[in-house]
Amino acid sequence: MSVYLIGALFLIGMWGVITKPNLIKKIIALNVINGAVVMFFVHHSSRSGTTAPIRGDGSAGISQAMMVDPLPQALMLTAIVVGICITALGLALAVLLHRKFGTLDMRRIERAAWEKDETGGGGTHE
Amino acid sequence: MSEAVILLILFPLAATIAPLVAKLPVFARRPRAARGLWMASVALLAGGLGALVWLYPTVAAGKAVVYTLGSWEIPLGIALKMDGLAWLSSLLVYLLSVSVGVFALSHREYGSEFYFFFALLVAGMEGVVLTTDVFNLFVSFEIVAIAAYVLIAYHRDARALVASFKYLILSSVGILFFLFGIFLVYRELGTLSLEEIAVYYRESSDPARLRVLRLALSSLVVGVAVRTAFLPFHTWLPEAHAFAPHPTSALLSGVLIKVSLLAMVRLIHTFDPQLFGQLLLWIGAVTAAVGVVWALSQRDAKMLLAYHSISQMGYVVAGMAVAGQAAGSATGILALSGSLYHAINHGLFKSLLFLAVGTAIHMTGERDLYRMPRLGRRAPLLALVFGVGALSIAGVPGFNGYASKYVISSVVDVGPASLLLWITGVGTAASFIKLSRVFWPGAERTRTEQSMEPNPETASAAERSGARLQRRRRVPVSALSVMVFIALLCIAAGVAPRMVTATLGQLLEGGMVAEAAAQAPGTAQAALGASESLKTPFTFAKLGETAVVLALGVGVYLLTQTRVGGRAAHRVKAMAPRLHTVLVLFLAGLAGFAAVAYFAAPS
Repeated sequence: MSVYLIGALFLIGMWGVITKPNLIKKIIALNVINGAVVMFFVHHSSRSGTTAPIRGDGSAGISQAMMVDPLPQALMLTAIVVGICITALGLALAVLLHRKFGTLDMRRIERAAWEKDETGGGGTHE
Repeated sequence: MSEAVILLILFPLAATIAPLVAKLPVFARRPRAARGLWMASVALLAGGLGALVWLYPTVAAGKAVVYTLGSWEIPLGIALKMDGLAWLSSLLVYLLSVSVGVFALSHREYGSEFYFFFALLVAGMEGVVLTTDVFNLFVSFEIVAIAAYVLIAYHRDARALVASFKYLILSSVGILFFLFGIFLVYRELGTLSLEEIAVYYRESSDPARLRVLRLALSSLVVGVAVRTAFLPFHTWLPEAHAFAPHPTSALLSGVLIKVSLLAMVRLIHTFDPQLFGQLLLWIGAVTAAVGVVWALSQRDAKMLLAYHSISQMGYVVAGMAVAGQAAGSATGILALSGSLYHAINHGLFKSLLFLAVGTAIHMTGERDLYRMPRLGRRAPLLALVFGVGALSIAGVPGFNGYASKYVISSVVDVGPASLLLWITGVGTAASFIKLSRVFWPGAERTRTEQSMEPNPETASAAERSGARLQRRRRVPVSALSVMVFIALLCIAAGVAPRMVTATLGQLLEGGMVAEAAAQAPGTAQAALGASESLKTPFTFAKLGETAVVLALGVGVYLLTQTRVGGRAAHRVKAMAPRLHTVLVLFLAGLAGFAAVAYFAAPS
């Protein structure tokens, strides 16, 4: 069940990236997808055992078979950090774009950039 | 010995430190000392070449050198592996990044940040090349991406910022699908190591599991495909490569897309080389043809080059697809070395072209190739190196482009696909005739030269200031010598195509295609020896064919200069997709790959 919910989250993020024209919303949507993928991993690993993967002195009667697989969590820590870097960079670009174009609407920004290209490119063919 | 492998990553990482030091307040008033540190950074990058020379004897003998980080043994720790494929890609990475670094040093507009991210980009690319597990591949790809976004937007020129943002969104979506693919692999197989995946994949007989793994592969391939920029994932490339600073364009177009492609080759051969063979062959051929049509309709000199990168990658993808279809056979190795040969050649001549055209833009302050004054008389040596690059990409015998296109066309023998590649040859010739007008020696004075002021509309803010600051009559000697060096490499790689192909085959045989070679030792040599056509690449028939292609190219060029041609070009140019369309195209491509993977017959 929860797998489907995570899948829905993934798709919501995709929808946001594609349809939202606002730069910041696009970046948030990227984060939603990132979160969904991270949850896929964590959800998978959480079902591989019943206790935390911490080796005590053995007195608690926890065997290795009961522990969850620790690898996905370690991987996801890295993936989250990478995601933060991308988010930070994306937001920095959004700030710069806003300064240049005075708007956060990607459609308008692209139109403005394209017009610049058109006039610069000489308009009609000579 | 194995320490040499980690040196390949440590050198660029060390090279990131020098620019950081140069950012200290102490150096703010000492520009010469800061410059010395940047030079040290590029010099440290050159150290990687030494490590490569050290590794060559072992790799050439067909052995892979493995380095385990922190002495954690292989199933637990992170391992780096240097084999033939990795060695060749590293060679490309280091040769070009050092050259481009020297080129950047000869211009004063690049600061500490530039050299920092430049070195980081090299470190990331080496990570992509050397990694042995899919998760490291993900991390390395993201390091590369972060460095690339910053380098593209370095001058904060408006269009470069838009291009960088577009690239960021698209490639982040792509890499998240890549991560999802990793999840599927881990869920099914419980491993991330490429070698173990290859073993388990071949052992798994359960059709349901096989199907999930194939979908995982399609997800991984699509994630990498965004970086490799073939159709329909090419959409970010032209703007990003055209509006980036010139050294960045050279490095991104010359090296980065090749490195991503080689990672894809590795992934595909880890799983199932046949699975996407047919699809990639068609994508490659169509990419080549469509890319060249777009290139031909551009007026912006760097935009034209950027579209050519897409087009030339089409050749490489087509060759690689044949290699996948015929994996393990003699043709497979021939196709793989052919496509690798073309990837390396393209890296050489495309970075040469970007540097030459970038220099021309610098000298004139103008990007529109119809408005640029002719430079042939002012900078004859620049015109000469541009000529070498243009002749190479157009596939004129004696230059490297001819040799590798030749190998690829000898293996791509599916009628329509080879026809598309042939059309691409014509279009390439035509568009480089168009571009070369900038370097003709004619004394035609244009508007720009009369006023001697850069066109305020076309030249970006940074270029304007750059043009004002350093519009000089001469090209810096170090920049010019870098270009001459790359031009010589282009010629060297072209005069002995058979020898180069044989060397490539040998390196690959020892490395990535080890399993295939193990079944029939010497397959590569046999393939290359048996291939009659390769023995005599310069026959009269072939030369005649090239002449026909070039003549047709001239015809197409004249056609684009007519009124009708101009209008058509304008229409094609207006078809450049916006971000929204880009993402929809991405999803369409993803669906295509997933469908092929899903409906493939369980073998």
